[in-house]
Amino acid sequence: MIYLDHAAATPVDKKALLSMMPYFADQFFNPSSPYLPANHVRDHYEYAKGQIAHTIGAKGADLVITSGATEATNLAFTAATTAMEHAVAPEILILATEHASVRAAAIATGAKVVEIKVGRTGLINLNDFRRKLTGNTVFVSVALVNNELGTIQPLAEIAEIIRAERARRLSAQNTTPLYFHSDASQALNCLDVNVARLGVDLLTISSAKIGGPKGVGALYVGHGIKLKPLIAGGGQEAGLRSGTENVPGVIGFAVAAVSAKEHTNGNRKKYENLAGILRTELEKAVVSPLFLHDKKHHLSSFVPVSFPGIDAERLIYKLEEQEVYLATGAACAANKGTKSHVLTAAGLSDAEIAGSLRITLGPLNTEDDMRRAGQLIVAAVNEEFERCQK
Amino acid sequence: MSEVASVASGAAAAGPATVYLGMSGGVDSSLSAVLLKEQGYHVVGVYMKNWSRDLPGMKCPWAEDLADAKRVAVRLGIDFEVFDFEKEYKQKVVDYMLDEFKKGNTPNPDIMCNQEIKFKLFYDVARERGADFIATGHYARVGMAAGPATPALLKAVDENKDQTYFLYRISEDALKHTIFPIGDMYKKDVKALAAKKGLDNAYKKESMGVCFVGEVGIKDFLKEYIDEKPGEIRELKTDRVLGAHEGAVFYTLGQRHGLNIGGGLPYYVVKKDIAKNIVYVSRDLNAAELWTDELKLKDVIMRNDDWRNRVGDGCAVPFEVRLHHRAPLIPATFDLDNSVVKFAEKIKAPAAGQSVVFYSGDVCLGGGIVV
Repeated sequence: MIYLDHAAATPVDKKALLSMMPYFADQFFNPSSPYLPANHVRDHYEYAKGQIAHTIGAKGADLVITSGATEATNLAFTAATTAMEHAVAPEILILATEHASVRAAAIATGAKVVEIKVGRTGLINLNDFRRKLTGNTVFVSVALVNNELGTIQPLAEIAEIIRAERARRLSAQNTTPLYFHSDASQALNCLDVNVARLGVDLLTISSAKIGGPKGVGALYVGHGIKLKPLIAGGGQEAGLRSGTENVPGVIGFAVAAVSAKEHTNGNRKKYENLAGILRTELEKAVVSPLFLHDKKHHLSSFVPVSFPGIDAERLIYKLEEQEVYLATGAACAANKGTKSHVLTAAGLSDAEIAGSLRITLGPLNTEDDMRRAGQLIVAAVNEEFERCQK
Repeated sequence: MSEVASVASGAAAAGPATVYLGMSGGVDSSLSAVLLKEQGYHVVGVYMKNWSRDLPGMKCPWAEDLADAKRVAVRLGIDFEVFDFEKEYKQKVVDYMLDEFKKGNTPNPDIMCNQEIKFKLFYDVARERGADFIATGHYARVGMAAGPATPALLKAVDENKDQTYFLYRISEDALKHTIFPIGDMYKKDVKALAAKKGLDNAYKKESMGVCFVGEVGIKDFLKEYIDEKPGEIRELKTDRVLGAHEGAVFYTLGQRHGLNIGGGLPYYVVKKDIAKNIVYVSRDLNAAELWTDELKLKDVIMRNDDWRNRVGDGCAVPFEVRLHHRAPLIPATFDLDNSVVKFAEKIKAPAAGQSVVFYSGDVCLGGGIVV
């Protein structure tokens, strides 16, 4: 098997898996229970939470553990709902290429949702952003790394513009709050993520995309930001996320996050090398590949490519027979039979979108994998090209 | 299939004949694709996208079905297209069904889907695109004994799976250009062969009933479109009020569930008065209203000359009818002038809107809709 869809799911890291095991069995206690063994579990949980927080330059108390990135993002948008109470005609700005969870959560607030344009590689159009950021804007959400193209957005620059707008409001005695959220689910493997340097108020992170278990994620919440809990109950996570803590999940998440942080630089170089080998192979197809990534600002584990005129979905079914697994557009979009809104926003033609593959690399991929996968993809493209010529 | 194969080889001089195959993602149409390809046809797989609703708890599985169908097509290396019939399906099948229910009838949307969508719209579009034939994974056969100009609709070899009940209204023109690749196979052989050919969806759960109705059942589906109108449930014999219902149109003759009148033996719906919105029930399975020895039909379809030869000239000739899919065949005669089917013994009366389908041996002669 050659697995090339790490943006959808990652195999759980062996160390992470082993670290979780005791918390299913001997250390099964509810962290809220009063006796000593349960207190120990509470300590381990809080320590693990602190470790996760440290990887993004935050403290354990700044995190709300959730059931995953989607819940974290939905929770983040409750800050927008609070802020909307202070605005006359509130607006939310999101990037046109945001993930479905961000788009849906934004719409659910009831505020007017305005999309910020992106360029051909999915990079934010900062001028469009400046134009659309008005006195009515209460919330801005821009993913650190796009989940289809791997484009890295200049969050620090965006934060700078937001700070200037806040200063302007202050001097104009406009008290409308303005929050900055980013979905960093895809980023932790190859990027140094630090909330202070990025300048975000709210940050979504995910365990499942970095070699941790599924079903756990977190929201970083900056100081003084008011959220409304989505789930009521026993008041865990400082009242923001009730329900007995997912202890094994958080332990596994922490091990995966620390490991990702340690290997950030190594991973980046490794994936640059692998991606290079793969691209060289793909060049050999009868249909010239169109590489869709941003040359300067992209995560090296992403190799988005299009073979215009070819039906990429057919390629996926052909390649799965050879046990090569990859995606076209975002997995969710493909399943619903609709074309990728990300590639549409990036201005790609219908033929370019239909022919697009999302290849995302992971820790188990090797140079040999790249050569073999490349050859199989090329063979599939060539076969499809011939079928269409008949 | 023997007739079919000869047609293919007959056309071989001018290159292989083109077949547009309706593919649903299930085992029957998937194996049909394999067989047609092996027989040398140029096969184009088509997924027909019909009307569906994505309501909470009742998602139509069409996206997965489409993926399965396409996967099979790709593995076989055949062309694949999606025909979007959503609008037409809504009009011709869903709206028809709702209208019939509003009138107090119990229609069969699958029969309408075959008549209006699969063997009309799909057939027309496929022919326009250059298809010599269309094909589906139905259990049925085309008989050419009387010559290719007057094909007969024949029962499947596997009587237990025979689907001609759903096909009796399809046009003769479409039937002339239709191939049923698995019509001469038993279901168990279809499954076994599909597994042997490596179709990994060979054991996928079969779709039952109409997709758009979903898992919630027909009554809840209808309630989305037809206003509830409370009325009385009365016992037929005594006219005593036994309970209340949410609208007579939601009930079907013979139904015994969902009446919410508890205690003792079950009650059956034996009569509906749509105008007065009264549902009549009885505990007596032998109640006269549940049984009849004749049925008046409308919209009768007489399939080619077989019909006139076998039941024509006003003289009543015995043949057999089927009152439901897979129901036993019952001997009957037909009064052509009055459109009335007569039975030697009393039968449990089907609801108005249901179809009565006529057979003579293997031949499906046609049928009509109960008034």
